[in-house]
Amino acid sequence: MSAFQLALKNISGNAFRNGVVSLCALLLSAFALFTTLVIRGAESSLRLTIDRLGADIVVVPEGSEAKIESALLMGIPARFWMPADHVNKIAAIPGVGVVSPQLYLATLTGADCCSVSDMFMIAYDPASDFTIQPWLEEELGNGLRVGEVVGGSYISATEGEQNIKLYGYLVTLKENLEPTGTGLDQTMFLTFDTAYDIASKSEFQAESPLIIPPDSISAALIKVKPGSDPQDVALQIIQNVPGVTPIESSDLFQSYRKQMTGLLKSILVILSVTWGLSVVLIGLVFSMAANERRKELGVLRALGATRRFVFQSLLAEASLLAFFGGITGLAVASMAIFLFRKLIMVSLEIPFLLPSPVSLLIQIGAGLLLALFSVNLAALFPAFKISRQDPAVAMRE
Amino acid sequence: MNKTMGILMIVLALVIAIVPIFTDCLANGRSLTTADGRSVPMKCHWTAIAEIGLAVPLLFVGVFNLTSKRKETFRALNLIGLALGALVILFPTVLIGVCANAAMPCNMIEKPALILSGILVMGASLVTLAGSRSFIEPVAA
Repeated sequence: MSAFQLALKNISGNAFRNGVVSLCALLLSAFALFTTLVIRGAESSLRLTIDRLGADIVVVPEGSEAKIESALLMGIPARFWMPADHVNKIAAIPGVGVVSPQLYLATLTGADCCSVSDMFMIAYDPASDFTIQPWLEEELGNGLRVGEVVGGSYISATEGEQNIKLYGYLVTLKENLEPTGTGLDQTMFLTFDTAYDIASKSEFQAESPLIIPPDSISAALIKVKPGSDPQDVALQIIQNVPGVTPIESSDLFQSYRKQMTGLLKSILVILSVTWGLSVVLIGLVFSMAANERRKELGVLRALGATRRFVFQSLLAEASLLAFFGGITGLAVASMAIFLFRKLIMVSLEIPFLLPSPVSLLIQIGAGLLLALFSVNLAALFPAFKISRQDPAVAMRE
Repeated sequence: MNKTMGILMIVLALVIAIVPIFTDCLANGRSLTTADGRSVPMKCHWTAIAEIGLAVPLLFVGVFNLTSKRKETFRALNLIGLALGALVILFPTVLIGVCANAAMPCNMIEKPALILSGILVMGASLVTLAGSRSFIEPVAA
Protein backbone atom coordinates (compact mmCIF):
# COMPACT_ATOMS: atom_id res chain seq x y z
CA MET A 1 0.00 0.00 0.00
CA SER A 2 1.41 3.40 -0.97
CA ALA A 3 1.48 6.47 1.31
CA PHE A 4 -1.24 8.04 -0.85
CA GLN A 5 -3.56 4.99 -0.54
CA LEU A 6 -3.02 4.93 3.22
CA ALA A 7 -3.83 8.65 3.41
CA LEU A 8 -7.00 8.14 1.36
CA LYS A 9 -8.17 5.41 3.75
CA ASN A 10 -7.29 7.50 6.82
CA ILE A 11 -9.24 10.59 5.79
CA SER A 12 -12.48 8.63 5.56
CA GLY A 13 -12.27 7.89 9.30
CA ASN A 14 -11.98 11.27 11.06
CA ALA A 15 -14.89 13.57 10.31
CA PHE A 16 -13.92 16.35 12.78
CA ARG A 17 -10.34 16.75 11.58
CA ASN A 18 -11.38 16.49 7.93
CA GLY A 19 -14.12 19.06 8.45
CA VAL A 20 -11.91 21.63 10.20
CA VAL A 21 -8.92 21.30 7.84
CA SER A 22 -11.08 21.31 4.69
CA LEU A 23 -13.10 24.26 5.98
CA CYS A 24 -9.92 26.27 6.66
CA ALA A 25 -8.58 25.45 3.18
CA LEU A 26 -12.00 26.30 1.72
CA LEU A 27 -12.23 29.69 3.44
CA LEU A 28 -8.62 30.61 2.72
CA SER A 29 -8.74 29.77 -1.00
CA ALA A 30 -12.22 31.27 -1.48
CA PHE A 31 -11.24 34.52 0.23
CA ALA A 32 -7.96 34.76 -1.70
CA LEU A 33 -9.67 34.15 -5.06
CA PHE A 34 -12.57 36.48 -4.28
CA THR A 35 -10.32 39.41 -3.36
CA THR A 36 -7.92 38.81 -6.25
CA LEU A 37 -10.79 38.74 -8.74
CA VAL A 38 -12.33 41.94 -7.35
CA ILE A 39 -9.06 43.91 -7.25
CA ARG A 40 -7.73 42.71 -10.61
CA GLY A 41 -11.19 43.05 -12.17
CA ALA A 42 -11.43 46.64 -10.92
CA GLU A 43 -8.02 47.46 -12.41
CA SER A 44 -8.88 46.01 -15.82
CA SER A 45 -12.27 47.72 -15.70
CA LEU A 46 -10.65 51.15 -15.19
CA ARG A 47 -8.15 50.44 -17.98
CA LEU A 48 -10.90 49.36 -20.38
CA THR A 49 -13.02 52.42 -19.61
CA ILE A 50 -10.08 54.73 -20.40
CA ASP A 51 -9.42 52.76 -23.61
CA ARG A 52 -13.12 52.91 -24.55
CA LEU A 53 -13.18 56.67 -24.04
CA GLY A 54 -10.19 56.88 -26.36
CA ALA A 55 -9.49 60.47 -25.31
CA ASP A 56 -6.16 61.86 -24.12
CA ILE A 57 -7.87 64.66 -22.20
CA VAL A 58 -11.47 65.13 -20.99
CA VAL A 59 -12.49 68.75 -20.38
CA VAL A 60 -15.34 69.31 -17.91
CA PRO A 61 -16.72 72.39 -16.11
CA GLU A 62 -14.74 73.31 -12.99
CA GLY A 63 -15.91 71.29 -9.96
CA SER A 64 -17.42 68.45 -12.02
CA GLU A 65 -14.43 66.09 -11.87
CA ALA A 66 -15.97 63.73 -9.29
CA LYS A 67 -19.34 63.74 -11.08
CA ILE A 68 -17.88 62.59 -14.40
CA GLU A 69 -15.93 59.83 -12.68
CA SER A 70 -19.09 58.56 -10.93
CA ALA A 71 -21.06 58.79 -14.17
CA LEU A 72 -18.54 56.91 -16.31
CA LEU A 73 -17.62 54.33 -13.69
CA MET A 74 -20.87 53.71 -11.82
CA GLY A 75 -23.48 54.99 -14.31
CA ILE A 76 -24.73 57.58 -11.82
CA PRO A 77 -26.38 60.24 -13.98
CA ALA A 78 -24.50 63.56 -14.03
CA ARG A 79 -25.79 66.92 -15.19
CA PHE A 80 -23.32 69.77 -15.73
CA TRP A 81 -22.95 72.31 -18.47
CA MET A 82 -20.42 74.63 -20.07
CA PRO A 83 -20.72 76.90 -23.12
CA ALA A 84 -20.55 75.06 -26.46
CA ASP A 85 -18.23 77.81 -27.65
CA HIS A 86 -15.45 76.23 -25.53
CA VAL A 87 -15.06 73.59 -28.27
CA ASN A 88 -13.78 76.23 -30.74
CA LYS A 89 -11.47 77.74 -28.13
CA ILE A 90 -10.02 74.32 -27.30
CA ALA A 91 -9.66 73.38 -30.99
CA ALA A 92 -7.55 76.53 -31.54
CA ILE A 93 -4.97 75.45 -28.94
CA PRO A 94 -1.77 74.10 -30.53
CA GLY A 95 -1.35 70.36 -30.10
CA VAL A 96 -5.09 69.60 -30.04
CA GLY A 97 -5.93 67.07 -32.77
CA VAL A 98 -9.68 66.40 -32.46
CA VAL A 99 -12.26 67.85 -30.05
CA SER A 100 -15.59 66.13 -29.66
CA PRO A 101 -18.37 67.57 -27.48
CA GLN A 102 -20.73 65.38 -25.44
CA LEU A 103 -24.00 66.03 -23.60
CA TYR A 104 -24.71 64.15 -20.37
CA LEU A 105 -28.42 63.52 -19.81
CA ALA A 106 -30.57 61.24 -17.68
CA THR A 107 -34.03 59.71 -17.78
CA LEU A 108 -36.64 60.67 -15.19
CA THR A 109 -36.93 58.81 -11.88
CA GLY A 110 -39.97 56.52 -11.58
CA ALA A 111 -41.89 58.13 -14.48
CA ASP A 112 -44.13 56.13 -16.82
CA CYS A 113 -42.83 58.10 -19.82
CA CYS A 114 -39.37 56.51 -19.37
CA SER A 115 -38.87 52.72 -19.70
CA VAL A 116 -35.80 52.85 -17.44
CA SER A 117 -35.60 55.02 -14.34
CA ASP A 118 -32.61 57.32 -13.78
CA MET A 119 -30.53 56.02 -16.70
CA PHE A 120 -27.36 57.87 -17.74
CA MET A 121 -27.40 58.96 -21.41
CA ILE A 122 -24.49 60.30 -23.45
CA ALA A 123 -25.28 62.34 -26.57
CA TYR A 124 -22.37 62.67 -29.01
CA ASP A 125 -21.64 64.67 -32.13
CA PRO A 126 -21.25 62.18 -35.04
CA ALA A 127 -19.20 64.70 -37.07
CA SER A 128 -16.33 64.87 -34.56
CA ASP A 129 -16.83 61.77 -32.41
CA PHE A 130 -13.92 59.33 -32.15
CA THR A 131 -15.30 57.17 -29.32
CA ILE A 132 -18.65 55.68 -30.38
CA GLN A 133 -18.67 56.26 -34.15
CA PRO A 134 -15.66 54.04 -35.10
CA TRP A 135 -17.19 51.17 -33.13
CA LEU A 136 -20.58 51.69 -34.78
CA GLU A 137 -19.07 51.76 -38.27
CA GLU A 138 -17.27 48.54 -37.50
CA GLU A 139 -20.39 46.82 -36.11
CA LEU A 140 -23.28 48.35 -38.08
CA GLY A 141 -21.55 49.65 -41.20
CA ASN A 142 -22.90 53.17 -40.59
CA GLY A 143 -23.74 55.65 -37.86
CA LEU A 144 -26.98 56.24 -35.99
CA ARG A 145 -30.01 57.98 -37.51
CA VAL A 146 -32.42 60.19 -35.58
CA GLY A 147 -34.39 58.00 -33.15
CA GLU A 148 -31.73 55.27 -33.02
CA VAL A 149 -29.56 54.53 -29.98
CA VAL A 150 -26.77 52.21 -28.88
CA GLY A 151 -26.77 50.76 -25.38
CA GLY A 152 -24.16 49.51 -22.94
CA SER A 153 -24.24 45.77 -22.34
CA TYR A 154 -27.01 46.07 -19.68
CA ILE A 155 -29.38 48.18 -21.81
CA SER A 156 -32.23 46.15 -23.25
CA ALA A 157 -35.68 46.84 -24.65
CA THR A 158 -38.79 45.25 -23.13
CA GLU A 159 -39.16 41.60 -24.12
CA GLY A 160 -40.51 41.21 -27.66
CA GLU A 161 -39.97 44.89 -28.51
CA GLN A 162 -37.12 46.84 -30.03
CA ASN A 163 -38.09 50.25 -28.70
CA ILE A 164 -37.25 51.99 -25.44
CA LYS A 165 -39.35 54.90 -24.17
CA LEU A 166 -37.39 58.05 -23.23
CA TYR A 167 -39.47 61.05 -22.15
CA GLY A 168 -42.44 59.51 -24.02
CA TYR A 169 -40.29 59.24 -27.20
CA LEU A 170 -39.69 55.77 -28.63
CA VAL A 171 -36.07 55.13 -29.59
CA THR A 172 -34.79 52.03 -31.39
CA LEU A 173 -31.97 50.09 -29.75
CA LYS A 174 -29.62 49.22 -32.64
CA GLU A 175 -26.82 47.43 -30.83
CA ASN A 176 -25.20 46.79 -27.45
CA LEU A 177 -21.57 47.57 -26.65
CA GLU A 178 -19.19 44.97 -25.22
CA PRO A 179 -19.25 44.92 -21.38
CA THR A 180 -16.68 47.06 -19.56
CA GLY A 181 -17.83 46.29 -16.03
CA THR A 182 -18.40 50.02 -15.45
CA GLY A 183 -21.22 52.54 -15.66
CA LEU A 184 -20.80 52.57 -19.44
CA ASP A 185 -22.63 49.21 -19.40
CA GLN A 186 -25.75 50.99 -18.08
CA THR A 187 -25.39 54.00 -20.35
CA MET A 188 -27.30 54.80 -23.53
CA PHE A 189 -25.55 56.53 -26.43
CA LEU A 190 -27.43 58.74 -28.88
CA THR A 191 -26.63 61.51 -31.34
CA PHE A 192 -27.07 65.24 -30.62
CA ASP A 193 -29.93 65.28 -33.19
CA THR A 194 -31.82 62.52 -31.33
CA ALA A 195 -31.24 64.27 -27.99
CA TYR A 196 -32.59 67.59 -29.33
CA ASP A 197 -35.55 65.76 -30.96
CA ILE A 198 -36.41 64.06 -27.65
CA ALA A 199 -36.06 67.40 -25.81
CA SER A 200 -38.37 69.25 -28.23
CA LYS A 201 -41.09 66.55 -28.11
CA SER A 202 -40.75 65.86 -24.39
CA GLU A 203 -42.64 69.09 -23.60
CA PHE A 204 -45.82 67.40 -24.84
CA GLN A 205 -45.09 63.69 -24.31
CA ALA A 206 -43.28 63.46 -20.98
CA GLU A 207 -44.30 63.98 -17.36
CA SER A 208 -41.48 66.50 -17.15
CA PRO A 209 -39.52 67.85 -20.17
CA LEU A 210 -35.92 67.04 -21.03
CA ILE A 211 -34.08 70.32 -20.64
CA ILE A 212 -30.87 70.91 -22.57
CA PRO A 213 -29.63 74.48 -22.01
CA PRO A 214 -29.10 76.23 -25.38
CA ASP A 215 -25.55 76.34 -26.75
CA SER A 216 -24.29 74.12 -23.95
CA ILE A 217 -22.29 70.93 -23.73
CA SER A 218 -21.32 68.76 -20.76
CA ALA A 219 -17.79 67.73 -21.70
CA ALA A 220 -15.26 67.87 -24.51
CA LEU A 221 -13.14 64.83 -25.37
CA ILE A 222 -9.73 65.64 -26.84
CA LYS A 223 -7.28 63.60 -28.86
CA VAL A 224 -3.91 65.36 -29.05
CA LYS A 225 -1.85 65.50 -32.24
CA PRO A 226 0.85 62.80 -32.55
CA GLY A 227 4.03 64.03 -30.85
CA SER A 228 2.22 66.52 -28.60
CA ASP A 229 2.41 66.17 -24.84
CA PRO A 230 -1.10 65.89 -23.27
CA GLN A 231 0.22 67.61 -20.11
CA ASP A 232 1.32 70.70 -22.11
CA VAL A 233 -2.04 70.78 -23.93
CA ALA A 234 -3.89 70.50 -20.60
CA LEU A 235 -1.85 73.43 -19.20
CA GLN A 236 -2.69 75.58 -22.22
CA ILE A 237 -6.41 74.74 -21.83
CA ILE A 238 -6.30 75.96 -18.22
CA GLN A 239 -4.63 79.21 -19.37
CA ASN A 240 -6.87 79.86 -22.39
CA VAL A 241 -10.31 78.53 -21.42
CA PRO A 242 -11.63 79.83 -18.10
CA GLY A 243 -14.00 77.81 -15.89
CA VAL A 244 -12.98 74.37 -17.09
CA THR A 245 -10.84 71.50 -15.78
CA PRO A 246 -8.88 69.33 -18.22
CA ILE A 247 -8.43 65.77 -16.91
CA GLU A 248 -5.67 63.74 -18.54
CA SER A 249 -6.62 60.10 -19.17
CA SER A 250 -3.81 58.99 -16.82
CA ASP A 251 -5.38 61.12 -14.05
CA LEU A 252 -8.94 59.89 -14.63
CA PHE A 253 -10.61 58.00 -11.79
CA GLN A 254 -7.99 59.06 -9.22
CA SER A 255 -10.51 58.92 -6.38
CA TYR A 256 -11.43 55.35 -7.35
CA ARG A 257 -7.78 54.41 -7.59
CA LYS A 258 -7.20 55.77 -4.07
CA GLN A 259 -10.28 53.86 -2.85
CA MET A 260 -8.93 50.69 -4.46
CA THR A 261 -5.48 51.16 -2.89
CA GLY A 262 -7.14 51.57 0.52
CA LEU A 263 -9.29 48.50 -0.06
CA LEU A 264 -6.27 46.50 -1.20
CA LYS A 265 -4.35 47.38 1.98
CA SER A 266 -7.29 46.37 4.21
CA ILE A 267 -7.78 43.13 2.29
CA LEU A 268 -4.09 42.25 2.55
CA VAL A 269 -4.22 42.74 6.33
CA ILE A 270 -7.40 40.61 6.64
CA LEU A 271 -5.94 37.94 4.34
CA SER A 272 -2.71 37.78 6.34
CA VAL A 273 -4.61 37.47 9.65
CA THR A 274 -6.93 34.79 8.18
CA TRP A 275 -3.96 32.91 6.76
CA GLY A 276 -2.06 33.02 10.07
CA LEU A 277 -5.07 31.87 12.10
CA SER A 278 -5.87 29.09 9.62
CA VAL A 279 -2.30 27.77 9.70
CA VAL A 280 -2.30 27.78 13.54
CA LEU A 281 -5.73 26.09 13.70
CA ILE A 282 -4.81 23.42 11.16
CA GLY A 283 -1.52 22.84 13.01
CA LEU A 284 -3.40 22.34 16.30
CA VAL A 285 -5.93 19.97 14.72
CA PHE A 286 -3.15 17.92 13.12
CA SER A 287 -1.23 17.79 16.41
CA MET A 288 -4.35 16.52 18.20
CA ALA A 289 -5.04 13.95 15.49
CA ALA A 290 -1.41 12.83 15.38
CA ASN A 291 -1.34 12.39 19.19
CA GLU A 292 -4.55 10.35 19.05
CA ARG A 293 -2.98 8.11 16.43
CA ARG A 294 0.37 7.56 18.15
CA LYS A 295 -0.34 3.88 18.83
CA GLU A 296 -1.63 3.28 15.34
CA LEU A 297 1.43 4.92 13.78
CA GLY A 298 3.67 3.04 16.22
CA VAL A 299 2.18 -0.25 15.00
CA LEU A 300 2.74 0.86 11.43
CA ARG A 301 6.42 1.56 12.21
CA ALA A 302 6.74 -1.80 14.02
CA LEU A 303 5.35 -3.54 10.93
CA GLY A 304 8.19 -2.11 8.88
CA ALA A 305 7.00 1.27 7.68
CA THR A 306 9.86 3.75 7.49
CA ARG A 307 9.83 7.22 9.11
CA ARG A 308 9.76 8.67 5.64
CA PHE A 309 6.66 6.58 4.76
CA VAL A 310 4.77 7.75 7.89
CA PHE A 311 5.82 11.35 7.26
CA GLN A 312 4.74 11.14 3.61
CA SER A 313 1.37 9.54 4.43
CA LEU A 314 0.58 12.34 6.94
CA LEU A 315 1.50 15.04 4.43
CA ALA A 316 -0.49 13.23 1.74
CA GLU A 317 -3.52 13.34 4.07
CA ALA A 318 -2.99 17.08 4.56
CA SER A 319 -2.66 17.61 0.81
CA LEU A 320 -5.82 15.63 0.05
CA LEU A 321 -7.85 17.60 2.60
CA ALA A 322 -6.42 20.89 1.30
CA PHE A 323 -7.21 19.86 -2.26
CA PHE A 324 -10.86 18.96 -1.57
CA GLY A 325 -11.44 22.01 0.63
CA GLY A 326 -9.59 24.30 -1.77
CA ILE A 327 -11.41 23.09 -4.87
CA THR A 328 -14.80 23.48 -3.15
CA GLY A 329 -13.91 26.98 -1.92
CA LEU A 330 -12.60 28.08 -5.30
CA ALA A 331 -15.68 26.74 -7.10
CA VAL A 332 -18.08 28.48 -4.68
CA ALA A 333 -16.07 31.75 -4.81
CA SER A 334 -15.99 31.72 -8.64
CA MET A 335 -19.73 31.08 -8.84
CA ALA A 336 -20.51 33.69 -6.17
CA ILE A 337 -18.43 36.37 -7.84
CA PHE A 338 -19.92 35.59 -11.24
CA LEU A 339 -23.52 35.59 -9.95
CA PHE A 340 -23.30 38.46 -7.44
CA ARG A 341 -21.06 40.72 -9.55
CA LYS A 342 -23.59 43.52 -9.78
CA LEU A 343 -24.34 43.44 -6.04
CA ILE A 344 -20.62 43.53 -5.19
CA MET A 345 -20.12 46.48 -7.55
CA VAL A 346 -22.96 48.44 -5.97
CA SER A 347 -21.97 47.54 -2.39
CA LEU A 348 -18.24 48.29 -2.74
CA GLU A 349 -18.86 51.16 -5.19
CA ILE A 350 -16.09 49.74 -7.35
CA PRO A 351 -16.67 48.51 -10.91
CA PHE A 352 -14.97 45.34 -11.97
CA LEU A 353 -14.74 43.13 -15.00
CA LEU A 354 -14.67 39.33 -14.89
CA PRO A 355 -11.36 37.85 -16.06
CA SER A 356 -10.86 35.78 -19.21
CA PRO A 357 -11.19 31.97 -18.75
CA VAL A 358 -7.38 31.53 -18.99
CA SER A 359 -6.74 34.23 -16.39
CA LEU A 360 -9.44 32.72 -14.13
CA LEU A 361 -7.83 29.27 -14.40
CA ILE A 362 -4.44 30.74 -13.49
CA GLN A 363 -5.95 32.47 -10.45
CA ILE A 364 -7.78 29.27 -9.43
CA GLY A 365 -4.46 27.40 -9.71
CA ALA A 366 -2.77 30.02 -7.52
CA GLY A 367 -5.59 29.73 -4.94
CA LEU A 368 -5.21 25.95 -4.88
CA LEU A 369 -1.45 26.24 -4.42
CA LEU A 370 -2.01 28.65 -1.52
CA ALA A 371 -4.39 26.14 0.15
CA LEU A 372 -1.96 23.24 -0.41
CA PHE A 373 1.04 25.24 0.84
CA SER A 374 -0.79 26.52 3.95
CA VAL A 375 -2.15 23.13 5.03
CA ASN A 376 1.15 21.35 4.38
CA LEU A 377 3.04 24.04 6.27
CA ALA A 378 0.69 23.63 9.25
CA ALA A 379 0.93 19.81 9.14
CA LEU A 380 4.71 19.77 8.68
CA PHE A 381 5.75 20.01 12.34
CA PRO A 382 3.20 17.50 13.80
CA ALA A 383 3.98 15.06 10.95
CA PHE A 384 7.73 15.42 11.50
CA LYS A 385 7.39 14.97 15.27
CA ILE A 386 5.16 11.90 15.13
CA SER A 387 7.24 10.21 12.43
CA ARG A 388 10.41 10.58 14.58
CA GLN A 389 8.99 8.88 17.69
CA ASP A 390 10.14 5.47 18.81
CA PRO A 391 7.54 2.79 17.86
CA ALA A 392 8.00 0.85 21.12
CA VAL A 393 7.33 3.96 23.23
CA ALA A 394 4.36 4.96 21.07
CA MET A 395 2.69 1.56 21.35
CA ARG A 396 3.23 1.37 25.13
CA GLU A 397 1.55 4.74 25.86
CA MET B 1 -21.13 12.60 4.92
CA ASN B 2 -24.87 11.94 4.44
CA LYS B 3 -25.67 13.81 7.65
CA THR B 4 -23.53 16.79 6.64
CA MET B 5 -25.26 16.93 3.26
CA GLY B 6 -28.65 16.57 4.97
CA ILE B 7 -27.91 19.58 7.20
CA LEU B 8 -26.64 21.52 4.15
CA MET B 9 -29.89 20.75 2.30
CA ILE B 10 -32.02 21.92 5.24
CA VAL B 11 -30.05 25.19 5.37
CA LEU B 12 -30.37 25.62 1.59
CA ALA B 13 -34.12 24.88 1.73
CA LEU B 14 -34.50 27.68 4.29
CA VAL B 15 -32.41 30.04 2.13
CA ILE B 16 -34.51 29.17 -0.94
CA ALA B 17 -37.75 29.81 0.95
CA ILE B 18 -36.76 32.96 2.84
CA VAL B 19 -34.23 34.97 0.76
CA PRO B 20 -36.43 35.54 -2.35
CA ILE B 21 -39.36 36.83 -0.28
CA PHE B 22 -37.16 39.60 1.19
CA THR B 23 -35.25 40.41 -2.00
CA ASP B 24 -37.94 40.54 -4.68
CA CYS B 25 -39.00 43.92 -6.06
CA LEU B 26 -42.26 43.92 -4.07
CA ALA B 27 -40.33 43.69 -0.79
CA ASN B 28 -38.30 46.69 -1.98
CA GLY B 29 -41.42 48.73 -2.67
CA ARG B 30 -41.55 48.29 -6.43
CA SER B 31 -44.58 47.05 -8.35
CA LEU B 32 -46.31 47.54 -11.69
CA THR B 33 -49.18 49.99 -11.95
CA THR B 34 -51.92 48.89 -14.36
CA ALA B 35 -53.99 51.23 -16.55
CA ASP B 36 -56.80 51.22 -13.96
CA GLY B 37 -54.35 52.28 -11.24
CA ARG B 38 -53.94 48.96 -9.45
CA SER B 39 -50.53 47.86 -8.14
CA VAL B 40 -49.52 44.41 -9.40
CA PRO B 41 -46.42 42.50 -8.22
CA MET B 42 -43.76 41.87 -10.88
CA LYS B 43 -42.79 38.36 -11.95
CA CYS B 44 -39.87 38.13 -9.53
CA HIS B 45 -42.48 37.96 -6.75
CA TRP B 46 -44.20 34.95 -8.35
CA THR B 47 -40.79 33.28 -8.67
CA ALA B 48 -40.29 33.86 -4.93
CA ILE B 49 -43.68 32.25 -4.18
CA ALA B 50 -42.93 29.27 -6.46
CA GLU B 51 -39.58 28.75 -4.72
CA ILE B 52 -41.40 28.25 -1.39
CA GLY B 53 -43.19 25.36 -3.08
CA LEU B 54 -39.80 23.85 -3.91
CA ALA B 55 -38.23 24.59 -0.54
CA VAL B 56 -40.80 22.52 1.40
CA PRO B 57 -40.08 19.15 -0.30
CA LEU B 58 -36.37 20.01 -0.25
CA LEU B 59 -36.58 20.47 3.52
CA PHE B 60 -38.06 16.96 3.79
CA VAL B 61 -35.28 15.57 1.56
CA GLY B 62 -32.76 17.12 3.98
CA VAL B 63 -34.52 15.78 7.09
CA PHE B 64 -34.88 12.27 5.62
CA ASN B 65 -31.21 12.32 4.64
CA LEU B 66 -30.48 12.72 8.35
CA THR B 67 -32.80 9.93 9.50
CA SER B 68 -32.69 7.34 6.69
CA LYS B 69 -30.70 4.15 7.02
CA ARG B 70 -31.40 2.40 3.71
CA LYS B 71 -29.32 2.68 0.57
CA GLU B 72 -32.40 2.72 -1.70
CA THR B 73 -33.97 5.53 0.31
CA PHE B 74 -30.82 7.64 -0.09
CA ARG B 75 -30.85 7.06 -3.83
CA ALA B 76 -34.53 8.00 -4.20
CA LEU B 77 -34.20 11.04 -1.92
CA ASN B 78 -31.20 12.43 -3.70
CA LEU B 79 -32.63 11.88 -7.17
CA ILE B 80 -35.55 14.02 -5.96
CA GLY B 81 -33.00 16.50 -4.53
CA LEU B 82 -31.27 16.66 -7.92
CA ALA B 83 -34.56 17.43 -9.68
CA LEU B 84 -35.56 20.01 -7.06
CA GLY B 85 -32.14 21.70 -7.37
CA ALA B 86 -32.59 21.94 -11.14
CA LEU B 87 -36.07 23.47 -10.67
CA VAL B 88 -34.70 26.00 -8.15
CA ILE B 89 -32.43 27.25 -10.97
CA LEU B 90 -35.05 27.00 -13.73
CA PHE B 91 -37.76 29.09 -12.02
CA PRO B 92 -35.85 32.41 -11.94
CA THR B 93 -34.06 31.80 -15.26
CA VAL B 94 -36.48 30.07 -17.66
CA LEU B 95 -39.85 29.04 -16.24
CA ILE B 96 -40.98 32.33 -14.63
CA GLY B 97 -37.97 34.65 -14.64
CA VAL B 98 -37.29 37.92 -12.87
CA CYS B 99 -37.50 41.59 -13.93
CA ALA B 100 -35.65 42.67 -17.10
CA ASN B 101 -33.72 45.56 -15.55
CA ALA B 102 -30.31 44.36 -14.34
CA ALA B 103 -30.23 47.05 -11.63
CA MET B 104 -33.39 45.73 -9.87
CA PRO B 105 -32.86 44.02 -6.47
CA CYS B 106 -34.33 40.77 -7.81
CA ASN B 107 -31.58 40.65 -10.44
CA MET B 108 -28.85 41.57 -8.00
CA ILE B 109 -29.77 39.27 -5.09
CA GLU B 110 -32.80 37.01 -5.63
CA LYS B 111 -31.79 35.42 -8.94
CA PRO B 112 -28.07 34.83 -8.15
CA ALA B 113 -28.93 33.53 -4.66
CA LEU B 114 -31.38 31.03 -6.15
CA ILE B 115 -28.98 29.90 -8.89
CA LEU B 116 -26.15 29.41 -6.36
CA SER B 117 -28.48 27.58 -3.95
CA GLY B 118 -29.76 25.36 -6.78
CA ILE B 119 -26.20 24.46 -7.82
CA LEU B 120 -25.29 23.65 -4.20
CA VAL B 121 -28.44 21.51 -3.78
CA MET B 122 -27.55 19.57 -6.93
CA GLY B 123 -23.93 19.23 -5.75
CA ALA B 124 -25.03 17.98 -2.30
CA SER B 125 -27.43 15.47 -3.92
CA LEU B 126 -24.73 14.19 -6.25
CA VAL B 127 -22.23 13.79 -3.39
CA THR B 128 -24.82 11.88 -1.31
CA LEU B 129 -25.76 9.75 -4.33
CA ALA B 130 -22.11 8.89 -4.92
CA GLY B 131 -21.61 8.21 -1.20
CA SER B 132 -24.70 5.98 -1.01
CA ARG B 133 -23.00 3.45 -3.33
CA SER B 134 -20.57 2.48 -0.56
CA PHE B 135 -23.10 2.93 2.27
CA ILE B 136 -23.27 -0.05 4.61
CA GLU B 137 -26.76 -0.59 5.99
CA PRO B 138 -26.94 -1.28 9.77
CA VAL B 139 -27.85 -4.85 10.64
CA ALA B 140 -31.22 -5.17 12.40
CA ALA B 141 -31.00 -6.47 15.99
